[in-house]
Amino acid sequence: MNSYSPTEFIAVVNQTLEYAYSPALVTGEVASFKINQGKWVFFDIKDEESSISCFMSVWSLRVPLEDGMKVVVSGVPKLTKWGKFSFTVENVKPVGEGSIKKAYELLKKKLTAEGLFDVSRKREIPENLVKLGVISSTDAAGYTDFIKIINARWGGMKVSVAHTQVQGMDAPDQIIRALKYFNERSDVQMIAILRGGGSADDLSCFNDEQLVREIAASKIPVITGIGHERDESLADLAADVRASTPSNVAEMLTKDRNEEKMKLMKTMNRTNQVLLQAVERASENNTGRVKRVCDGINTKYIEPMIKNNAEKIDDCLKVIKDAFDKVQNILQQRIKVLDVLNPEKVLSQGYAILSGKISPGEMIKITTAKQEIDATIKNIKER
Amino acid sequence: MEKDLTLNQKIENLDEQVEWFYSDNFKLDEAVEKYKEAIKLAKNIEKDLNELKNEINVIAEDFSK
Repeated sequence: MNSYSPTEFIAVVNQTLEYAYSPALVTGEVASFKINQGKWVFFDIKDEESSISCFMSVWSLRVPLEDGMKVVVSGVPKLTKWGKFSFTVENVKPVGEGSIKKAYELLKKKLTAEGLFDVSRKREIPENLVKLGVISSTDAAGYTDFIKIINARWGGMKVSVAHTQVQGMDAPDQIIRALKYFNERSDVQMIAILRGGGSADDLSCFNDEQLVREIAASKIPVITGIGHERDESLADLAADVRASTPSNVAEMLTKDRNEEKMKLMKTMNRTNQVLLQAVERASENNTGRVKRVCDGINTKYIEPMIKNNAEKIDDCLKVIKDAFDKVQNILQQRIKVLDVLNPEKVLSQGYAILSGKISPGEMIKITTAKQEIDATIKNIKER
Repeated sequence: MEKDLTLNQKIENLDEQVEWFYSDNFKLDEAVEKYKEAIKLAKNIEKDLNELKNEINVIAEDFSK
């Protein structure tokens, strides 16, 4: 049988405990909660029959605690040098709807007082968003929905995805690391934190104080799509933009390519109308110039485009071509009228033009189809 | 140069080009060239809207550590 000094024995027991229960998870109700010297947190975790003394640093405490809250703690059981049993807590998380809500309200009050959720801090979605950072679990349904929707709606974006846990005790730290990664080592214009629906417990990691502070401190604007419409996390409140779901994030960040195609068609149709009206206006005043413009548009642009181009814009172009043809027909009719009235044509039929003062003794000029004759008027008689 | 522009930037450019047709600067003689440019850009945008894909890249970084 081994014999130990008290120090040796405590060391051996701690080694055994660490080997057997590292880390251990214990769920119970908080009692005798207190913070000493602003650094050390002490509380008991108990059930109806038993109680365990817990110890942790303030830094490790990521959610507000109060006596009576139900929590799950992860940590390592230890004997202190005084031989007393203690549980060194590495992480604590409220469990159960009431405790989650209580912790949420306490932290919300604290961070609101600090101004972390002020509207004045909010930044807008960049206008020309091309590079996006996404923090989510690539296995999650919410992430799959997001990718499906942005691909259906829009193109040309570069999406960098940081795969992290989005529930559980490790999730906040992983999301914090991903936020730091994007802020320090990427050129994304916006960060989207995505997590589909779940229970209050599933979503409680988004009420982690350090995560909420990291979101508020992000140099890059953050949009959140966490849970469903009815779910509101502190991460949502700290983000620059809050969407109701991951799918809603996709809709807020991208335009709909089908709507844009419709807008494009309308824009080009309107432009065609403006151009046609201008051509028609000008045709009333300037026949030759308009004909040149019409000919130029038709032969240089419209006809080659109709031969070579795709269907939709072609429809536009066909409309404008028909209109130009109509204008050209009018012009052709006018040209025929002008042709009939053309003085040269009249002269070719044997007529002559007299110019000069019509008075006896005056010199006049007689213009025929082939000659110009100077003559003197001898006599004038009324017909 | 057009190739370097994003889809959004091309749409913005087209809007500016079309704006000219409504402006006091409109001249019929210049309209042909402007129209040609607008149609060319519109077709380019239409092609992008039909064909452009997003690039999705999962970062090779372990965020659990």
